[in-house]
Amino acid sequence: MQISLNWLKELLPLEADADEIAEHLTMLGLEIEAVRRPGQDIENVFVGRILDIQPHPEADKLVVCRTDAGQGEALQIICGATNMKVGDKVPTAIDGATLPGGFKIGSRKMRGIQSCGMMCSARELGLGEEHAGLLILDKNAPIGQDIRDFLGLNDVVFEIEVTPNRGDWASMIGVARELAAFYGLQMTLPDAEVKESGEPAAAWSSITIEAPDLCPRYAGRILRNVVIKPSPPWLCARLIAAGQRPINNVVDITNYILMETGHPLHAFDYEKLKENRIVVRRARADEKITTLDGTERQLQEDMLVIADAENAQAVAGIMGGADSEVEKTTTTILLESAWFESRCVRSTSRRLSLSTEASQRFQRGADMQMLPYALNRAARLMQELADAEVAPGILDAWPQQRAYPAVTLRYERTVSRVGVNVAPAEQKRFLVSLGCELESETDASATFKIPSWRHDIRHEADLIEEVARLFGYENIPVTMPPVRQAESVFAPHATILRNFRRYLAGQGLTEVMNWSFGSPEGAVDAGLPVSPADQVYLSNPLSENYAVMRFSLLPGLFGTAAYNAKRGRRDLRIFELGPVYRNSADEILPAEPMYAGILLSGNAPGHWSRAECSYDFYDIKGCLDVIARFFGKELTLEESASSGFQKGQFAEIKWRKHILGCIGKVADEVVKTFGLPENTYVLEINLEILLAKKTEPAQFTAIPQYPASLRDLAVVVDRAVPAKDLVAATKQAAGPLLTAVNVFDVYSGKPLPSDKKSIALSLLFQSPDRTLTDKDTQKTMDRIVSRLRKDFEAELR
Amino acid sequence: MKEELKQLELDGSARIAEASDLKSLEEVRVAYLGRKGRITEILKGLGSASPEDRRSLGQMANLLKDQFAQRIDARKTELEAALREQKAQEQRVDMSLPGRAIPPGHVHVLNQIADEISDIFIQMGFQLALGPDVETEYYNFDALNTPDDHPARDSHDTFFVKPGVVLRTQTSPVQIRVMEQTRPPVAVIAPGRVYRVDLDATHSPMFVQMEGLLVDKGITFSDLKGTLMHFIHSFFGPDIQVRFRPHFFPFTEPSAEVDILWTARDRHTGEVKSKWLEILGCGMVHPEVFKNVSYDYEEYSGYAFGLGIDRIAMVRHGISSITHLYENDMRFLEQF
Repeated sequence: MQISLNWLKELLPLEADADEIAEHLTMLGLEIEAVRRPGQDIENVFVGRILDIQPHPEADKLVVCRTDAGQGEALQIICGATNMKVGDKVPTAIDGATLPGGFKIGSRKMRGIQSCGMMCSARELGLGEEHAGLLILDKNAPIGQDIRDFLGLNDVVFEIEVTPNRGDWASMIGVARELAAFYGLQMTLPDAEVKESGEPAAAWSSITIEAPDLCPRYAGRILRNVVIKPSPPWLCARLIAAGQRPINNVVDITNYILMETGHPLHAFDYEKLKENRIVVRRARADEKITTLDGTERQLQEDMLVIADAENAQAVAGIMGGADSEVEKTTTTILLESAWFESRCVRSTSRRLSLSTEASQRFQRGADMQMLPYALNRAARLMQELADAEVAPGILDAWPQQRAYPAVTLRYERTVSRVGVNVAPAEQKRFLVSLGCELESETDASATFKIPSWRHDIRHEADLIEEVARLFGYENIPVTMPPVRQAESVFAPHATILRNFRRYLAGQGLTEVMNWSFGSPEGAVDAGLPVSPADQVYLSNPLSENYAVMRFSLLPGLFGTAAYNAKRGRRDLRIFELGPVYRNSADEILPAEPMYAGILLSGNAPGHWSRAECSYDFYDIKGCLDVIARFFGKELTLEESASSGFQKGQFAEIKWRKHILGCIGKVADEVVKTFGLPENTYVLEINLEILLAKKTEPAQFTAIPQYPASLRDLAVVVDRAVPAKDLVAATKQAAGPLLTAVNVFDVYSGKPLPSDKKSIALSLLFQSPDRTLTDKDTQKTMDRIVSRLRKDFEAELR
Repeated sequence: MKEELKQLELDGSARIAEASDLKSLEEVRVAYLGRKGRITEILKGLGSASPEDRRSLGQMANLLKDQFAQRIDARKTELEAALREQKAQEQRVDMSLPGRAIPPGHVHVLNQIADEISDIFIQMGFQLALGPDVETEYYNFDALNTPDDHPARDSHDTFFVKPGVVLRTQTSPVQIRVMEQTRPPVAVIAPGRVYRVDLDATHSPMFVQMEGLLVDKGITFSDLKGTLMHFIHSFFGPDIQVRFRPHFFPFTEPSAEVDILWTARDRHTGEVKSKWLEILGCGMVHPEVFKNVSYDYEEYSGYAFGLGIDRIAMVRHGISSITHLYENDMRFLEQF
């Protein structure tokens, strides 16, 4: 909404300067998005009078004028327009003038004759689209007056954001009313006196309301012998300041009144209405209407229309129909000023995807008491600017009076809720200044009748806000509350997750954050076992690519890797922590388990002292190991198969019997589908169980007092033998003296046969109660070796 | 004999001085002071000298022995120092080269900010709470005094999952979930993802908010001001200017938005400018909300606030577009 300061000043005697007013409006809750000064683009343009017009000797389409712009000598100006005559007053830009859009006007020769300025059209002054000829000013315009002053262009425009609760602010009167309360000024409503003539309106037309629940009041006036023409400059200037485009006097007047009063009006071409009458009713099944924007719209039976005797002629409160549109030939107008239920306008506007200045105001709640005033104001302007004859009487169908609520304020409540001592008299004064009428009062409280334009005040708390607002939020003191906590714990894992995030970052992993939605194909393409029923679909996604809530973190991580690879960054070490979404058959809401995903691709972080090293399976497994360590859980891998992963490098991650996730090397096809770096490794793990199952606190084991003895053992076994099995057999054979086993080397290649590998173990022997002898250790070693020989046909190396 | 000792002193001193490494110095020591060394030999041979010579020669020889021992020690110290110096020179490092470690990764800037803000409120006594991203319309709107025909719903372009189920447009539904679970007092903050159908340079369809809620007896708007001022001063610095201005939210009354006066250098013009930036919305919990969770409005009062983590991150770090936050460009993520 754009609020013109000149316009406000017409309604109340404002003295504060524009910046001060902007500040005060802000502190009253009208958020100022911008303050513009439209006239500041115009400089050195004055009211001029054409003294003489002569043909241009060298050009048929140009004339040579002498114009007195009050700048001493008359100016010789070459002009291409034809709509002016000697004696006309026109906006005259002199040498050195500036026009909107940064145009500079100078002296120059046109076809051999000097031109010392320019006479302007409406468009050249930024006053709409009118460019057929010069803007002819009022006969009484004072020669030499700055055009900005004469046309009211010296304005300040506040662009405000109107909050949804304050429909009344979407008008000059609404804002003026607020400022009047704030500054203690009296607002004067513009004159709405109408001279009526001819047959009474009731003889011309009638209004029938068939849906009083949706339209409790509908008023109209009949305007005859209307002359459609462009609006005068002052009106254009006002509309432009308010962000409207001037069209013609009738349309402009309805828009002007909309901006002034906040009340939407609509003008019907009376002659085009069947039986010249109005019926307010619900739309019929299959009824259609072509609205003013030229779109044919299918209506539904719960939508409200304004119809003539037969057809819908307007969608109530939203937009008029093309069939009864006011045209150049229109002579008789039926002017509508009505009140529509906000709920109905809102749902219709939403379903038709049609939002207009009118619908926005009705949605927020219009002022039913404003309706006849707006109608009369418009009729008066039609009389002045469109030569209208106003038929006597208002057609006012008002089947349902609405009672305005009364709300009681306990003065002490303001004090105890706001935290500041505002005296009862002051509280009362604030509310009365805003239009609340005192109905009754005691020492401790007062009951107010709420004004018709304040649909937002229904509760004591609303009155408290009004008092606080006028008292000034900035005047409310600053205190610290005692913070007392509930006994419940609402996010038991929050701290652990935060630590986990930092811990992963400490492992050189960088956190990414993807949108929670993605393509329905994402999980499938990643090779995850997913059926459509598992996924949570959005019914109005941004696009097909974001149509489901993510089933897995992997597609997002793949997307991130592809995005960066495309930009030359193939070495990645990233993780994501966040929920995934899975439909659960019995619940209304899906499950949102917390997952962690890690992706490694390209080379490990290099160092100048080392050769580059590309990631392999053991790097991603290392990541899993640190996760296991963080949660104090033993996580195991169980080799498995998936179309998304390379065979032999894919496993399910398990804790006890629970499958928690998967880990592996991304398959070539997936690399191709997503555009990933070739060697990409990922893991994904459900953290819910890890978070929920508390690990028992570690129990202290006595530090051994006797020395340990360290032995190495290298054996050659089949390549297929897992190291895990060797270690397990070793432990079993050794018994309690073996306190640690560590694989420290794995080798395959020459001179070993191709199906063999060598595994080297380091073994630590220790006894809690004596120093071991070589004999003790050797005996155990022998047992181990013979066990490995037996179980794995292992050969000593 | 005396002559011999004199000569010995001259030769020996020269050889000690000339010894260029510890090995040759050791040779000199053996040659003079060793078991078969020259001075040792002289001392051994004193027995054959006359008694008067024996005394004076003995003195001279012993003196010389001590002298040599001292000189050799001194020379040894010198040579060792030179050796250390040489080793130091050889092993000198280029300290400007990068160290060896796994370069630490980066926590996403939004989580860094969320953690920092959480800490401030946790120190004040708030605890964390969480709610689901996929939420019922009841929690997201109705319970928050935003029925279906409420104009405030227009400003929330909502993603729908199915009738009655939406992606939450705000973290405020957590207020309801928390109040349904417990009686006052309540003091929680609830960070989380929220969603609106909106995508351009200033809007992301997913973004991150943090909700705050405090309910107890006697909580006032001035308490709300105090709490938020404390937060803002802790986070943005004690000198930052703050203003509370009236606003509208369906679930608070009175309501306010909070701006800070932010000073920053324009990226392009280099001009330093201050302007008011909105960073959060807040207000006193609306009586209708209390009614929906069966809290007695007469007995309790409370405040709620919601802040945009994205916006705060952008303000603080001068991030020009919200899209950076979710694009996951490593060149962005590694800046924080």
